[in-house]
Amino acid sequence: MVDVEKLREIAREVVSREDVRQLIGYRQGTYGFRARPAFITSPEEVDQLIFSPACVNNLATYLTLEERLPVPRGQEPDLRKVAVMVKGCDSRALVQQMEEKAYERDRIVVLGIPCTGVVDMDKVEKRFPNVLSRGEIALEGDKFVLSFDGKREEVPKEELLADKCKRCRYPTPLVYDQLLDEEVSRFADDDYADVLALEKRSAEEKWAYWEEKFSRCIRCYSCRNVCPMCYCEDCVLDRLNPQWMRRSVDISETTAYHIARAYHLAGRCIQCGECQRVCPVEIPLMELNRKFYKDVEELYDYEPGTDAEAPPLLATFKVDDREDFIL
Amino acid sequence: MAVKKLNKDKVKEALQELTKFRLIAPAKSDEVVVFKQISDPEEAFLDYGNSTVPPKKVVFPQTETLFRFQRGNPELREKNVEEEGTTVIFGLRPCDARAMSIVDNLFSWDYEDPYYLKRRELTTLVGMGCVNPPSVNCFCTSVGGEPCGTENLDILLIDLGEGYLVRELTEKGKKLAETIGSFLEDAPGGSEAKAEELSGSAKEAVSRSIDTSGIEAKLPTLWESPLWKEVSAACLGCGICTYLCPTCHCFDIQDEVEGAEGRRCRMWDSCMFRAHTLHASGPNPRPARKERTRNRINHKYSYFPGKFGVIACVGCGRCINLCPVNIDILEILGKVVEA
Repeated sequence: MVDVEKLREIAREVVSREDVRQLIGYRQGTYGFRARPAFITSPEEVDQLIFSPACVNNLATYLTLEERLPVPRGQEPDLRKVAVMVKGCDSRALVQQMEEKAYERDRIVVLGIPCTGVVDMDKVEKRFPNVLSRGEIALEGDKFVLSFDGKREEVPKEELLADKCKRCRYPTPLVYDQLLDEEVSRFADDDYADVLALEKRSAEEKWAYWEEKFSRCIRCYSCRNVCPMCYCEDCVLDRLNPQWMRRSVDISETTAYHIARAYHLAGRCIQCGECQRVCPVEIPLMELNRKFYKDVEELYDYEPGTDAEAPPLLATFKVDDREDFIL
Repeated sequence: MAVKKLNKDKVKEALQELTKFRLIAPAKSDEVVVFKQISDPEEAFLDYGNSTVPPKKVVFPQTETLFRFQRGNPELREKNVEEEGTTVIFGLRPCDARAMSIVDNLFSWDYEDPYYLKRRELTTLVGMGCVNPPSVNCFCTSVGGEPCGTENLDILLIDLGEGYLVRELTEKGKKLAETIGSFLEDAPGGSEAKAEELSGSAKEAVSRSIDTSGIEAKLPTLWESPLWKEVSAACLGCGICTYLCPTCHCFDIQDEVEGAEGRRCRMWDSCMFRAHTLHASGPNPRPARKERTRNRINHKYSYFPGKFGVIACVGCGRCINLCPVNIDILEILGKVVEA
């Protein structure tokens, strides 16, 4: 577990640096067990920072989300670095963004968090419903310990752990300037059980399955906006001329949207699972992304977000690339 | 108006009777509670907290055709809402019913929106009082509502355990109650008192609150306040808070053409999207999440009450519960009050 005092001490140093504009980390949320992103610009604010298994957000998204507004005449653009706290999975978003030349390595300061797993907040809130007062979650051995309303509850880790953590191959960040704790060695692997189950279904079964899910979609685009790999300034979805995707919401357009997004993430999705976490109507989007992930791994022996020096998968061509799946 | 009782063992039969109308009720899609048209009472899921997507979509669909057109034909074939038929929304929460009366102000203001208003006319609202506030983030009592409030409902049901107390509130409600009259019985003595007691304890159980009295006047003075940048820093710019809001009503209108035929339709839009205020010529008067967040709060708590005398928020808590980054409207309003 990351020692919060050590985290704040390091954060204080980083934020005090003249070449750092802000630090993006986590702070306590407004109710229950929630934690939320924190944007720290001065050493006085550093004591807000926390890290716990409730810190689920992938903060790498914010590196490309912030608007680049025109600089008023007479002012200089602020070119100072941004510091960001990342878990193992989140760090792969940084690697992939840099692989795609979204920004240069020297633009960011990375505080790496060796991660022993985060909770699935839906599971927590289902188990402990209607907790208003601010509660805390800590990992002690193989149990999550939840403290709230003067109570202390222990739950086996397995029962509240986020699914993505159960198959995490990279718990220790792959890129960092400072590591906030001892390295965590791999404690799980991916057997693609969910994807294999999906593959076994007939086309009719698959359609019935996805039709039910997609019919709930309200096209709030939270899956796109939270995604660290969805950082196009001009998204194909927002285009009006030509209008590739209609604004009207029906099963046909919505299916097209999700298929388009899955394809745009092929060889790029780093499996942080944020799209599925944020979906208000619980569409299991990671099943689509993971199907592509598995295909890419099997066909090209490539894992996105693991090597910043490697060229992006879709920007490479080898004469012996597999192509037997092309119709 | 009469007070009746609907025993729980008669609910399915009553719902079966109501399927002769377009019956909308809470149902489960996987684990998600949605309002949808049901044809089989078994589909109804009445033991729910609240739906993820509010039932506003029944009277204000996410996408609707206004009219169809054809090349070379000057005639516009207008949508006839009447064809959708008499609609009953069964089991909506009092906050969501109240939200519709708030949105009515907008759609009957400078221009009477025939599609929305016709649908409202065709719809009977059967509410389900919140005997237990469904979420820790409910705050209806701060914005003029209450867990077992009757505003804008035609019938209110209050769960007494073995059955529902049925309060007829309007002529429409009385008519609907007659339709299912054979499944209703006279409320036994003491049930009104029990319902009152439950409503009272439900009100007490709403745990979050905000004093809204000075907010409308305060907001315009905070236009340049640094608080907007602070509270919007984590915003992803997605549409969750607005699309799941029972009072948000922004829409876009587009022509969709295929070959020689097309339709003009309108669909929900969100002030949290970049494209919402993007001008065709390029500039955007709300260039960043800061301005969009400021607009969302100002619209609900200042512009709308300024124009229509009512806050455009019913305290359902959905925007708090489902925000992926824990942006909390009560925290923002608290900062406004303190500023």
